[in-house]
Amino acid sequence: MKQYIIRRLLQMIPTLIGISIIIFAISAMVPGDYITARANPNMSIEKQEQLRAIYGLDKPDYQRYFIWAGNMIKGNFGDSMQHKKPVTAVINTFVWNSFIIGFCSLILSWSIAIITGIFSAKFQYSLFDKIITLLVFICMSLPSFFIGLLLIKFLALDLKLFPVGGMTTAGLNGSGWIYIKDVIKHAFLPIMVLTMLSTGSLTRYFRTSMLEVIRQDYIRTARAKGLKERTVIFKHAFRNAMIPAITLLGFELPALFGGAMIMEQIFVWPGIGHVYLSSINMRDYPFMLGFTIFLAMLTLVGNLLADVLYGIADPRIRLK
Amino acid sequence: MTKKWSLTLVLVLALTMALSACGGNNKAANNEPAPTNSANTENTGETNTPAEPAGEEASGLIKAEDPSLSPALANNRKDTMIIGMTDPKGVFSPLFMETAYDYYVNYSIFNTLVAFKADGSYENSLAEKVDISEDGLKYTYHLKPGVTFSDGTPLTAKDYLFTMKLFHDATYDGESDVLSAHIVGGQEYHDGTASDISGIKVIDDNTVEITVSEYSALTPVDLGYVYILSEAYYGKDYKQGNLESVKALNSKPMGSGQYKLKSYTAGQEIVLEANENYFNGAPKIKNLIYKTTTDSTNLAMLESGETDMNEINVSEDNVEALKALGFMDINLLPNNGYGYIGFNHKLKKFQDQKVRQALTYGLNREDIVKGIYGPYADVINIPESKVSWAFTDENIETYDFDLEKAKALLDEAGWVVGADGIREKDGEKFKINFSATADNPVVEALLPIMTTNYKDLGIDIIAETLDFNAIIDKKTKGDFDMYFAAWGLTPDPDNTVYITNGAQNDTGYSNAKVDELMAKAKKEMDTEKRKVYYKEMYQEMNKDIPNIFLYQRNNMNAINARAQGFDISPYKDFPFSLYQVELQQ
Repeated sequence: MKQYIIRRLLQMIPTLIGISIIIFAISAMVPGDYITARANPNMSIEKQEQLRAIYGLDKPDYQRYFIWAGNMIKGNFGDSMQHKKPVTAVINTFVWNSFIIGFCSLILSWSIAIITGIFSAKFQYSLFDKIITLLVFICMSLPSFFIGLLLIKFLALDLKLFPVGGMTTAGLNGSGWIYIKDVIKHAFLPIMVLTMLSTGSLTRYFRTSMLEVIRQDYIRTARAKGLKERTVIFKHAFRNAMIPAITLLGFELPALFGGAMIMEQIFVWPGIGHVYLSSINMRDYPFMLGFTIFLAMLTLVGNLLADVLYGIADPRIRLK
Repeated sequence: MTKKWSLTLVLVLALTMALSACGGNNKAANNEPAPTNSANTENTGETNTPAEPAGEEASGLIKAEDPSLSPALANNRKDTMIIGMTDPKGVFSPLFMETAYDYYVNYSIFNTLVAFKADGSYENSLAEKVDISEDGLKYTYHLKPGVTFSDGTPLTAKDYLFTMKLFHDATYDGESDVLSAHIVGGQEYHDGTASDISGIKVIDDNTVEITVSEYSALTPVDLGYVYILSEAYYGKDYKQGNLESVKALNSKPMGSGQYKLKSYTAGQEIVLEANENYFNGAPKIKNLIYKTTTDSTNLAMLESGETDMNEINVSEDNVEALKALGFMDINLLPNNGYGYIGFNHKLKKFQDQKVRQALTYGLNREDIVKGIYGPYADVINIPESKVSWAFTDENIETYDFDLEKAKALLDEAGWVVGADGIREKDGEKFKINFSATADNPVVEALLPIMTTNYKDLGIDIIAETLDFNAIIDKKTKGDFDMYFAAWGLTPDPDNTVYITNGAQNDTGYSNAKVDELMAKAKKEMDTEKRKVYYKEMYQEMNKDIPNIFLYQRNNMNAINARAQGFDISPYKDFPFSLYQVELQQ
């Protein structure tokens, strides 16, 4: 097992190099750079050249790649052009806000999806199953900005239960418990919408997986042994049905840190999603490349984790 | 299997990211005080039906009907005002600021020697008196005595010299182009061959004398519109050729302005506190908070009372919604900029003045502009704001939509209708490739009308929508026929957009008369004389059509009526009058 993990980690190195080349190539091929994106008509041609020289944008692409990659190896992500701060500092400022709502909605949507998935599989074609399926499809098919704005209209403006947006009340000087309560109040709506969006597909997934397991011979055997239905479902069937879910969990890792661009925009949540988007629009190369690499690394780690956990959970799979 | 999938996923992710950049809202790029050319900042939110409400005021201040409707949430903040805006990048330094929202924060914290008045001309701010020598090369600024920074240290002429050194530093990567002011010794300091700027002489604590090697009408602004940084605070670790220590203070600004920074939470809020020692008098509102808002909910936040003020995209729906609230003062002001359609003047077909005039007559600009902005934008015929001192409508042809006239002009120019209904000249078909930004409401209204109009003229038009940067790229390379974009306008009419080989002249336009008048006006210090030059220049442009000028739209500031005392104009952004604003209890 240890050997397997080390080998996989070593394999990541060429993969990452490949990813970095592709990402850099795409960014270099996209027309424009930070100076053209700024589009300041007061700027003379000399000034533009001067800025390009300071940012190193005047060098040929392959040279820029090696300079950038060299710095990355040393752990130096460079300075974000828009924020005039190190990329790592910018990521650190915003990513945890995204993580808060990402993590809460992950826990919620998985819990809800597992429970509803199991029951609608257990009682397939029952009224409960049909209602759940209907609800799930409604949640899945409504666009996120629509649900978001609708909830703001009803819960925030009409009923005044929640604030319209932001993460804290402006000018609140609270600390400790008061602060946490304020954040929870602000986070409620975005978490709710994110949960609604992701629960749908997860429920469908768990339901299918459960249905498949329930039809297996060993479940019939368990029932024939005279085990209680509860034991059959939650012990024998549930654990087997959950194995494919590990792969899904691996994919959730980058999503946790990646931020939700649309949701953050609607609820004015200070997450990393819209910072990332604007870095792409503005051709803020250090940030956009740095953060993309960060997400790529998380994806690779998420996959490794999933594979290792797979081996632990299912003794039939041998990792070599 | 899973590994391969993950790779594909990353790739797809990277690709979609790159593609999703197309047509994103580049509001952050909009650097308000400096003019910007960003077609996708012209984002209005929604496209409206061209129904025109009768007797509506399209510009100016619409007073709140019933200020008592203001929600309790807002009224409870007795000594605090919350201004909503798109989140700044946290660059709170006049040296490095780039977005309009960073500017707003900096305006509240720092001061300049001269400041813009509501009509675009300037008045003394930190300066008490400015002497300009006969030959226009020597400028003596007398500072107001007794002005201090918010930490209590005095603001002196030495701080001015220090600030100018920072702007001249070789590692300076902000947007100000101070070298173009031609201060004597500035280039030497920039190159590192001198450790002082010989052209800036500190005579005493309150007097500084600046010598320039070349002057223009813009020199007084270049020299006087400089935000002064404290040498004691910013200069501690500064060495020529290394601005890192100054940059490190971007998040801890300290100036002489109306407010001082109390705390900054990225993406959320900037909390400011009144500077009791402000030289124009202590601000009447003790606490000021800039809160991050977005286009989708900024109206809702005003309604709930979470904010007291916000800039809202102008559309008839939004104006109606704000009026319906009853407690909002709505300030509609002409935007410092205009939308236009550019020609590639390097192409033979567009070099004929008659063709350009025909394309203007043959385009129903009125319908396009009303379709997008309703009554909140005007069709324009010269590239100048209607509130500028340089604006003129004397002898200006309005090019009202007239297909017959356009057809006649094209016939005159030798473009005759061929067998297939398309005009041709010397065997060349009249075909236009039109580029415009994707996801832009203006383009959505423009394209159908333009295509129909030009087809009626017998012109084959093919339209493509692209990412903003892609269009800029095409523009720079000259790989285009016609495109839609927008320019920003500076308070001063001087620019390089229409002069031969100008830095911003991407269309290749060249007109000797325009060049001459623009140069003359730049060298003239007397505003009355400049007016005459610009009038003649705009009349020439109006005849020659360097671009098809489309519209000047309005900006809208919505302010809760409990806050009174703002003095806002297109040239004077709201932060400059913050200290006069009072909250009605």
